[in-house]
Amino acid sequence: MQKQGNKKDYRVQFTLSKIVNLMSSTTYDPKIGKGDVIANVSIINKHDLNRVLEIFKTAMMSGLTVSPFIKILHEGESIGDLTIEEGKIGLATMCSITIDGILLKRGILVNPKFGGLVQIEEGSPVRFTDVLTYASTSIDPLEALMSQEITSVTQMISTGSGKILANLREVPIAARYDIDHVLSDIMDAGLSGILEVGEPNRKILDVPIERDHLGIVVIGGTNPMAIVREHGIPIETNAMSTVIDITEMSDIKDINL
Amino acid sequence: MTDALIERKLIEIMRIISESDKPVGARSIADELNNRGYGIGERAVRYHLRILDERGFTKKEGYSGRVITELGEKELRDALIGDRLSFVSTRIEELMYRMNFDPETGEGNVIVNISLVDNNDLEDALEIIKIVTAKSITISPRIQIFDENSDSKIDVPKGKTAIATVCSITIDGILLNQGVPVEPAYGGTLNIKNNEPVNFQDLISYSGTSIDPIKIFMSRKTTSVLDVLDTGTGKILANMRTIPASASEKALDVINRINASEIGGVIRTGESGEYVFGAPVDFGMSGMPVYVGTNVICAIEEAGIDVATYPVSTVLEYSNMSKL
Repeated sequence: MQKQGNKKDYRVQFTLSKIVNLMSSTTYDPKIGKGDVIANVSIINKHDLNRVLEIFKTAMMSGLTVSPFIKILHEGESIGDLTIEEGKIGLATMCSITIDGILLKRGILVNPKFGGLVQIEEGSPVRFTDVLTYASTSIDPLEALMSQEITSVTQMISTGSGKILANLREVPIAARYDIDHVLSDIMDAGLSGILEVGEPNRKILDVPIERDHLGIVVIGGTNPMAIVREHGIPIETNAMSTVIDITEMSDIKDINL
Repeated sequence: MTDALIERKLIEIMRIISESDKPVGARSIADELNNRGYGIGERAVRYHLRILDERGFTKKEGYSGRVITELGEKELRDALIGDRLSFVSTRIEELMYRMNFDPETGEGNVIVNISLVDNNDLEDALEIIKIVTAKSITISPRIQIFDENSDSKIDVPKGKTAIATVCSITIDGILLNQGVPVEPAYGGTLNIKNNEPVNFQDLISYSGTSIDPIKIFMSRKTTSVLDVLDTGTGKILANMRTIPASASEKALDVINRINASEIGGVIRTGESGEYVFGAPVDFGMSGMPVYVGTNVICAIEEAGIDVATYPVSTVLEYSNMSKL
């Protein structure tokens, strides 16, 4: 039916290829606090804005996201190839793949593996309970998991135990020294999402790691959206949408509700 | 934390208890563990059971049997993610092996999906099934219905009715039994335009996920099966398997023979290495996309009826299933 070349190319793009493309477009340098980061863009109804921002603020202040930076987009404004429709609001927040982009730009060969659900018990991460590898899906794994209604991020905030969204990447242990440096630069810049850094060749949160690698688990940038969903407020999330200059974003604590 | 090997044995014991419909004793657990390659004696099993009891995952029932607790079932769902990453594929392989449908007689077990609807919604649901199965965007028009009093291995909660639809993995099982090596590759949403399939919108591979791809697509509510019926344009669910390109003629022959038993749904067979509707295929292999059985259930959901679905659930005798 479809022969390559003489008809529209319908080949499906898997998430891994999308991620690697975005990683190479990341220019953000945590040391100077400038450059492009990867954004998730969520679309909500205009009249839900205050409630949603309230939730985002709580989630971001509790450290349940990569960074507290956000950009509010109003009707008619555009980001990437998305234009905000009438009656809607767009919220651009930082995607956790930004961390991979930063590592890559510092010369570290980073291999994003999967997105999944991490069970938290009394504030400490215990294990991954469900995962979807980036190479095997064209939908963002965290988006797919959110729709399964198996997250309990709201409960996690109020009780310290629950299931949150997170993702895993592997890095070669040869780069271990550099990784420590970059991760501390990242944290100094106010990006708080590093959940766990594994030991070389050891399982991380119950997941086996390839030989001569170590795993790094980062909190999913879409956790605030999961809470909004858990509250029954309509939200449509376009994860890993585009890159955005970080200076266009502001810290959520400086936004007046 | 206990040692990883002990942890694995504990989980295996819980799986054995959970798979049984009555309390299980240490002796039978030890026998079954040996079948599964864990050399462990009755005494050691008792020791492990004590740990499980202490954690609240199992409890004693009757003289010396154990049953699994709700907490235990939850633990089984969450534990050992490294093992469950290929869970979907291994489950499919197990059911493919358990089915024994014979294309010549039209009898034998087929793989089914189980969906639960409220008794009050049953009539409406059946009406939709009748309409959807009239159009060939599913595996078979035959279904089987179980109510809460049905004497069967299917557990139906009070006030609900279970509807069994033929699962597309049945096609894979039939091909396997006829000697065609087949590997389920992807589940996805397929765009239909003017009654013709055009391309896969999204795909999830059966091997890189701990949740069934079709289940993910169903709960994202991205289908428009009713639109396809009305206007010929919309999105429906399909999955794709690969077979060796050299076996595609034989596969087509098998598929033609099962049409007599009202089993269909195969959309086409690709050339060697040809991307089918945008889904990748290795050189030397042929892709074979098939409409899934749960399209019927998607249509019911689109009509606003609540349904809980368990894809690739179990096997049932095909000759006991019937067309509405």
